[in-house]
Amino acid sequence: MKKAIDFIKPAVILLLVAAVVALVLGLVDMMTRDRIEAIAEQTKTNAMNAVLEAPSYEALDVTGAPADIDEAYAAEGGGWVVQVTETGSQGAVTMMVGVNPDLTCSGISVTKSSETAGLGAIASQQSAAGDAFRSQFVGQSGTVAVTKDGGTINALTGATITSRAISTGVTAALALCESLG
Amino acid sequence: MNAKKQLTEGLITNNPVLVQQIGLCATMAISTTLFNGIGMGLSVLIILTCCNVVVSAIRKIIPGQVRLAIFVVVIAGFVTIVDLLLQAFIPALSSALGVFIPLIVVNCIIIGRAEAFSSKEGVFLSFRDGVFQGLGYTCVLVIMCLFRELLGSGTIGGGLLNGANSFITLDGTGAGIRIIPEGFGAGALILPFGGFLTLGLLMAVMQYALRKSSEKKAKKEKEVKE
Repeated sequence: MKKAIDFIKPAVILLLVAAVVALVLGLVDMMTRDRIEAIAEQTKTNAMNAVLEAPSYEALDVTGAPADIDEAYAAEGGGWVVQVTETGSQGAVTMMVGVNPDLTCSGISVTKSSETAGLGAIASQQSAAGDAFRSQFVGQSGTVAVTKDGGTINALTGATITSRAISTGVTAALALCESLG
Repeated sequence: MNAKKQLTEGLITNNPVLVQQIGLCATMAISTTLFNGIGMGLSVLIILTCCNVVVSAIRKIIPGQVRLAIFVVVIAGFVTIVDLLLQAFIPALSSALGVFIPLIVVNCIIIGRAEAFSSKEGVFLSFRDGVFQGLGYTCVLVIMCLFRELLGSGTIGGGLLNGANSFITLDGTGAGIRIIPEGFGAGALILPFGGFLTLGLLMAVMQYALRKSSEKKAKKEKEVKE
């Protein structure tokens, strides 16, 4: 028969190791948290400025809006910036959509996605192909769709699902702004 | 065990990816641009070395029954630290590698080396093992990235070099130096199955080279005997 100590010792050692690791993680988190938050904030402001430039943005209450709308902001000087999340081919695609006061799209920026590198990922890249794709959305209004679905957006080669997700997102953002007036 | 032997093992004869064939998942997924490859390789190198040292240092007090649990806790700790540091200081790399940094926790290279090496050997040997195995992993990643990026997207050094003014950009924004005109790359190589093709080719080349060198060695020994 094994003694009680044989059962307790491994448990205690595991607990000690876990406690030390937790302590170290707590310290690292304390050191990096502010910086990570500041970077996230900066990235967001940059994305908002990229789609609709304004000196400041005022957050709007979006409770009751469709589930794909994350956040909405009224830009100082007219217009809105809406953050929308749609389902792409590899997971969620989060984008910022700028909307002019006349309910046309002023620009989009994909802020978070995990689409296929070389295909869908072009939608979020700072490259000639990415810019060309995103610029198609400028000036769009009403329902936005890719050519395959009867719209005017040329889908990225080999990434129809990603292009479709972004079109859906822009449509949702435009609809929201219309309801906001 | 001397350093030279450990280095050859890590790079060639016991290379984690090409010979042990572990840690393949992330290898396929991220080896599409040089920036990702170097970033992932170095992250694994750092985490592997730290874990090897810690596991080796506490190897005498780790009870056999819970050793895997302890390895995983130590690994998860270091991975989270690296993840947080990357988010805070190299956000571009963090967003490029995405979920693959947290997934290093379950990367077999690290738990494999803990189980097979550092839980049995001294701290210094384990440190060296971590560095050399990490280098081996990084080298394979870099070769795969260069191959897939050149033939797949037609550039070299994506994220790291900027073709327009040939500056080295460390924030991952560089578009790379374009070798093949845009749109003419074999896009399939960028997809995961292109990763399998590339890896298969690399392994074949490796096996060929290893066989040649052992044949040569055998021949030499035979000559000496005669």
